[in-house]
Amino acid sequence: MTPNPIYNDEILMRRIDGELSPEAGAAIDRATVADPALAARLDAQRRLRTLARGALPVVPDQRDKDLVRLIATGGAGPRRAAVAGLTDRLRAAFAPRHTPIWVGLAAACFLLGLSLGGLGGGQDPGGLLDERGGIADAGLIKVLGTGLTADGPDREGRAVGLTFRDGDDRWCRTFRSGQAGMAGLACREDDRWTIRALAPAGADGGDGGDLRTAAADIPAPVLAAVDAAIAGETLDAAAEVRARDAGWR
Amino acid sequence: MDEFQRGLVELLPRLRRFSRAMARSDADAHDLVQETVERALSKRAGFLPGTRLDSWTFTIMRRIFIDQTRSKARWDRVVGPEDDGTANVADAAQAGEALRADALAVRQAIRALPDDQRLAVALVLIDGLSYAEAAQVMGVPAGTLTSRLVRGRQTLIQTLAAQGLNG
Repeated sequence: MTPNPIYNDEILMRRIDGELSPEAGAAIDRATVADPALAARLDAQRRLRTLARGALPVVPDQRDKDLVRLIATGGAGPRRAAVAGLTDRLRAAFAPRHTPIWVGLAAACFLLGLSLGGLGGGQDPGGLLDERGGIADAGLIKVLGTGLTADGPDREGRAVGLTFRDGDDRWCRTFRSGQAGMAGLACREDDRWTIRALAPAGADGGDGGDLRTAAADIPAPVLAAVDAAIAGETLDAAAEVRARDAGWR
Repeated sequence: MDEFQRGLVELLPRLRRFSRAMARSDADAHDLVQETVERALSKRAGFLPGTRLDSWTFTIMRRIFIDQTRSKARWDRVVGPEDDGTANVADAAQAGEALRADALAVRQAIRALPDDQRLAVALVLIDGLSYAEAAQVMGVPAGTLTSRLVRGRQTLIQTLAAQGLNG
C-alpha cells in the first residue's frame, strides 16, 4: 500500500515526540482511524521508542558512588591554572557585557554583507580579520580551503565544523580560529572566504571553550547564522571531500 | 554539596544511559561518564545558573565522545570486538531471556548507526530531549538534527523489523 503522502516519517516522528501542535497531532490520530497503513507506521514509531528506552533503561550503577565522592569534593587536583594568554585576554574583551554587541554587529554584517573590518574600537578579534573584513589568518584560510571535519584541529587549534551551501549556492563552513578564541561562519565568494558571523568560542555558555575540542562546537550566535543561511543539509564526510576536491565550485 | 553538585549527581543515571548508547563497551561508557564529570567540575564557571544543566553536561559528553572517536580514528587504533558488558548492567533490572535478547538486539542496532544519527537518537528518542535542546547539544541546525533523527529511526525500524522486533 502506498504510504499516505501527507504524513511522512518526519511528521509521524514529531507526533510521537510531542513536537507537533495538539491540533496537528489530533489530525494524525483521526487519519489513522481510516488508514490502517498509516496507523501501522505510527505504531512502529511508537514501539521503537518503547524498545529503545527499554533497551537502555536508567539503572543504578555501583560505580556512581565514586563519582558522587568526586563531585562532592568539587573534583580533585588543580586544573589549568593561570594560562593568561591571548585567549584569556580575548575572553575578557568579550565578556558578557560586550558579547551581545559583537554578536549583534556580526549578525548585521551577515544580513547586510557589510565589512566587519570597521568594527575596530578595541574589538579586533585577535588579528583574525584584515582591514577590509577579509580573513587575515593564513592558517585559517588554509584550513577552510583544505581541512575536513574529520581532521580535527590543526596545531594551532583551527578547525572546520559544518559545511553546506547557502541560499545563493555558495559554500559555507563553520570554523574555530584556535588561539584567537573565536568561532564563526565563512562563505566562499569570488574565490575567497568571507566571514559572515563571528562570536567568541563558548559564547553560548558552553563548557568554557576548550579550544582543543571538536570542530563541531559552534556558539549559539554562529549556529543561528547557519540556520539563517543554510539551504538543504550539511555535508557528510564523503560529500565534504568531494566539495573540497572540486575546489569549492 | 551546592546546587550545581547536586544537579550533577542527579544527572549521573542519565549520563550513564547516554554513554551506553554512544560507547562501544562498558569500559568506554564508564570512562566517558568519568571524564564528563571531571570536565564539568573543572569548567563549572562556564555554566550559567538558571540554564539547563542536563543540556550543558550532555554537550560536554558529546564533545569528549567526538574527540575520543577522532583520536581513535587518527591513530588507527585497533578496536576490539564490541563488548556488550554494559548490556549486563542494563539487563539487571529486566526479567527473562527473551527480553534480554531483544534489548541486546536493540542496543546493537543503535550502536550500528553512524555517530551523528546515534547521537540524535540517544538524545531525543531515548533521553527525551526536545529537538531544539538536542540540536543545541549537538551543535547543529534544527533541520540537520531532524534529518539525522529521521534517518536513524528509519534504519532502526527496518533493522528491528527484519529481526521480528518491530514489524
